[in-house]
Amino acid sequence: MALLDLLDWSLISSTVRMVTPILLAALGGALCSRVGIFNVGLEGLILVGAFSAIVGNHFTGSLLLAVLFAAAVTVLFSLLFAYMTIGLRANEIVVGVAINFLALGLTTFALRAIFDVKGAFYDKDMAGLPKWQLPVIGDIPVLGDVLSGHSPLVYIAFVAAILLHLFFTRTVTGFRVLAVGMNHTAARSIGLKATRLQVLAIVVCGVLCGMAGAQLSLGQVTMFSEGMTAGRGFIALVAMMLGQSHPLGIVASSFLFGLMDALSIRLQGLSLPTQFTAMLPYVLTILAMFFLKDKGASTASGQQSTR
Amino acid sequence: MEALKQLCKSLVQPLLAVVIGLLTGAIVIAAVGESIAGTYQEMWKGAFGSFYFLTSTLARATPIMLIGLGLSLAFRAGVFNLGAEGQMVSGAISATLVALYLPAPGLVKMLAALATGVLAGGLWSLLAGYMEARFRIQLLISSLLLNYVAVLFAGYLVSDPFQDKTGSAAMPQTPMLEKSVWLPKLFSGMSLHAGFLFALAAALLIFFVIRYTAFGYEVKMLGQNPFFARYGGVNRVRVMLTGMFLSGGLAGLAGTVEVLGSHYRYVEGALTLPNFAWTGLMATLLANSHPIGVIFTSLLLAALQTGAMGVERNTEVPLELASVIQAVLILFISAKFSYDWWKNRQNKRRESHGAA
Repeated sequence: MALLDLLDWSLISSTVRMVTPILLAALGGALCSRVGIFNVGLEGLILVGAFSAIVGNHFTGSLLLAVLFAAAVTVLFSLLFAYMTIGLRANEIVVGVAINFLALGLTTFALRAIFDVKGAFYDKDMAGLPKWQLPVIGDIPVLGDVLSGHSPLVYIAFVAAILLHLFFTRTVTGFRVLAVGMNHTAARSIGLKATRLQVLAIVVCGVLCGMAGAQLSLGQVTMFSEGMTAGRGFIALVAMMLGQSHPLGIVASSFLFGLMDALSIRLQGLSLPTQFTAMLPYVLTILAMFFLKDKGASTASGQQSTR
Repeated sequence: MEALKQLCKSLVQPLLAVVIGLLTGAIVIAAVGESIAGTYQEMWKGAFGSFYFLTSTLARATPIMLIGLGLSLAFRAGVFNLGAEGQMVSGAISATLVALYLPAPGLVKMLAALATGVLAGGLWSLLAGYMEARFRIQLLISSLLLNYVAVLFAGYLVSDPFQDKTGSAAMPQTPMLEKSVWLPKLFSGMSLHAGFLFALAAALLIFFVIRYTAFGYEVKMLGQNPFFARYGGVNRVRVMLTGMFLSGGLAGLAGTVEVLGSHYRYVEGALTLPNFAWTGLMATLLANSHPIGVIFTSLLLAALQTGAMGVERNTEVPLELASVIQAVLILFISAKFSYDWWKNRQNKRRESHGAA
């Protein structure tokens, strides 16, 4: 197999699919980091979203309700994060780690309690998210293959990235959010409700992570298995850092990760070890930090000595 | 009397957290419709019910304790090392390779493997420390990223060049180590191995270093007040790098004793799936980075986990009961909730009374 055979249009198409959960979660993480909160709990939030999407789908039979349910449950979960970090002033990294553990434990537990199965829940009658065939674009040969035929959440993810970008650059609330992240005390002194904006950011992050989870469990496979996020939350965190918490930067970095994901599946056909393709995003991020270190790093700064 | 009071005060918070954790566990157990008392009884039995289970708990606590001790050292120096997993894995795989291929008699090989494990873990950790010191790359992020690199690279090594190809199924693991490099078991037929003694020794050593040596004082100063430390002539970079090296070295030792003491080979996922690294982090946080405290908190967390295995064997309640309880525990501890909150409320009440 030549290298060129690997790079066809269906690879790009599957990249678009793979990138969606990472992109959604990374946007949520970026929003948190812009208000000065480093959210390590993305992994757990996605997992909760993935599970509650399946639960919602199973009991309501409606995909729309399932996604809404996933978003709602994940928001509740993220409020726990907000209460702990902002309300009780606990270290956000510690709380994030605990949130991940809690999500893993509770979803596995609930899997047993609700569906009485261990490992994974799969129902052959359960419908996955629909694939939207775009009317005009779908007919264009190459572009149609890449852009058309994805679940609605895929399109929502990209729209969300653009909206978030406009939010930060064009709206007053966006500026206020940025101000809170840059200097909490100063923002507060000009009368901004800093805490409220922070909680709001965490809530929106919950919505985005809930949708990321729904895309994972209903958009790609229509099932839930224990710990099915498999580190995607951490990848989203890395994508967020590589993208400097800038929405468009995050789209680019998520694409890099999605491409690696899609490529590593293909490379299994070749003799190249998949571990190296899987490693590449992390190595690239470390290298990127040599060049980008000071910008956008403000989010986690001060962590060093606060513990 | 005053010392006793102080001790009680510091114990109130963790104890309250444990109680809240167990209460949450009870709610979860009730949710699946099992008997709460019965389940906790099974948990106790699974953790301490017999000598065999007790030693299993101690064996499980060994890597958690070593990692926790290492992290406590880093935290005390004020560096947030999130890379214990990678440091543990790089120590374990290097030690395994030395134990497999170094041409030397058994005991020499074992000691060389242990030294390699510490060195490899320490150097991997030092890499993140160096990048922070030299290039101002956030250690918090780089140490997290280096986890993936180490785990994936070790995964590659054991699924290709150093894979055990003798068995029928090609599992991602190295060949079995010869018996002469195995760490001795403390009791025959039990899973507890000599690594536990290393962990205890490390705890005492760190306790004395922190308490009685100049280095320990520098670490403490740096962690508590970096500006004061610099003013007092502490070389921040040197102390930070030493702290990181020791922290990673202990994580590497944790991986090494797991290999030499219980698996006798590097098996892909054997160190990462039980979440030793994150549990070690929790043990440190629960103990507030106190080395002697880490002994007890890692025993507590290990007991929760082995106890949950007993629960899963004998009831319908799944193993993840332990992660739920653990997570709640850590949430409450990290929030510095209980005691401070209670005290503040008392103070407020007193103030309002005074005003009235």
